[in-house]
Amino acid sequence: MLPKLDPLLHAELRLAVMSILAGVEDADFSYLKKQTGATSGNLSVQIEKLSAAGYITVEKGFKGKVPCTTCKITSEGLDAFEKYVNALKEYLI
Amino acid sequence: MENIEQNKEMTALQSLNIISEMMNNSRRTILQNSAKHFILWGSLLILVSLVIYELWHTTGSPIWNVAWFVMPALGFPIVRILDRKDSDVPQNKINMNIGLIWLTYCIFTVCISVIAMLWVPMNVSLVIVVLVGFAECISGFLLKNWAITISGFIIGIGGAVMASMLLGAEQLLIFTVCGIMLVVTGLIIKSQYK
Repeated sequence: MLPKLDPLLHAELRLAVMSILAGVEDADFSYLKKQTGATSGNLSVQIEKLSAAGYITVEKGFKGKVPCTTCKITSEGLDAFEKYVNALKEYLI
Repeated sequence: MENIEQNKEMTALQSLNIISEMMNNSRRTILQNSAKHFILWGSLLILVSLVIYELWHTTGSPIWNVAWFVMPALGFPIVRILDRKDSDVPQNKINMNIGLIWLTYCIFTVCISVIAMLWVPMNVSLVIVVLVGFAECISGFLLKNWAITISGFIIGIGGAVMASMLLGAEQLLIFTVCGIMLVVTGLIIKSQYK
């Protein structure tokens, strides 16, 4: 029987955000927006969902005088991402 | 990539495509951003080495070597300005490690230069050129780029031989070549991750 895919990750934008965050220390909201091509509103909503699940942490702060939101993947998020990728592989075999 | 606006159902293949595309694009952006550091430090190295060479050659005095300290004094503020411009580009393990390698190189170089000037005379050019080659080599390995790794070996080993053979102001020309190699490394990274 094929494993169940994590519904939180099995969504385009959330998966894109997690894929980016899995490869970096942390990333600004503006960087995630640029890389995914998503709108600010939609990206905010999806980031909020990932944060509520404990997959990422969101820190609001300032870079100089400019406000910035920094996202970082948690170890829980990294585990979930790894499990999701492994599950995907089984679908393709 | 097209805008990802909807959380529509995906197939396993689509999901894997999104993952690999996002990871590759992000990696490309981050590493391309690190190319500017190689170009900056390489250009500074060419400029400073040629200026000191000219001054040493004309006046006959090695005292002009003090001008090497202009390099970090000029370079680090420029790096800060450049990094501020691309402040939203994050760091990954590769560019963090490359940054640490070159920072360590800088610390070694400054310490050895000061020790050689004040306490123990030594062939500083030889030591520094080996360190440049070493740092360049490891950068190449991390970037999985053979051209950079090989240029590191050429700088380190060839430079050490030249530093032992050349005397006085002529030794500075080794650093001009090192600077050219660093600029070329930056350009290779830029084109590799275009």
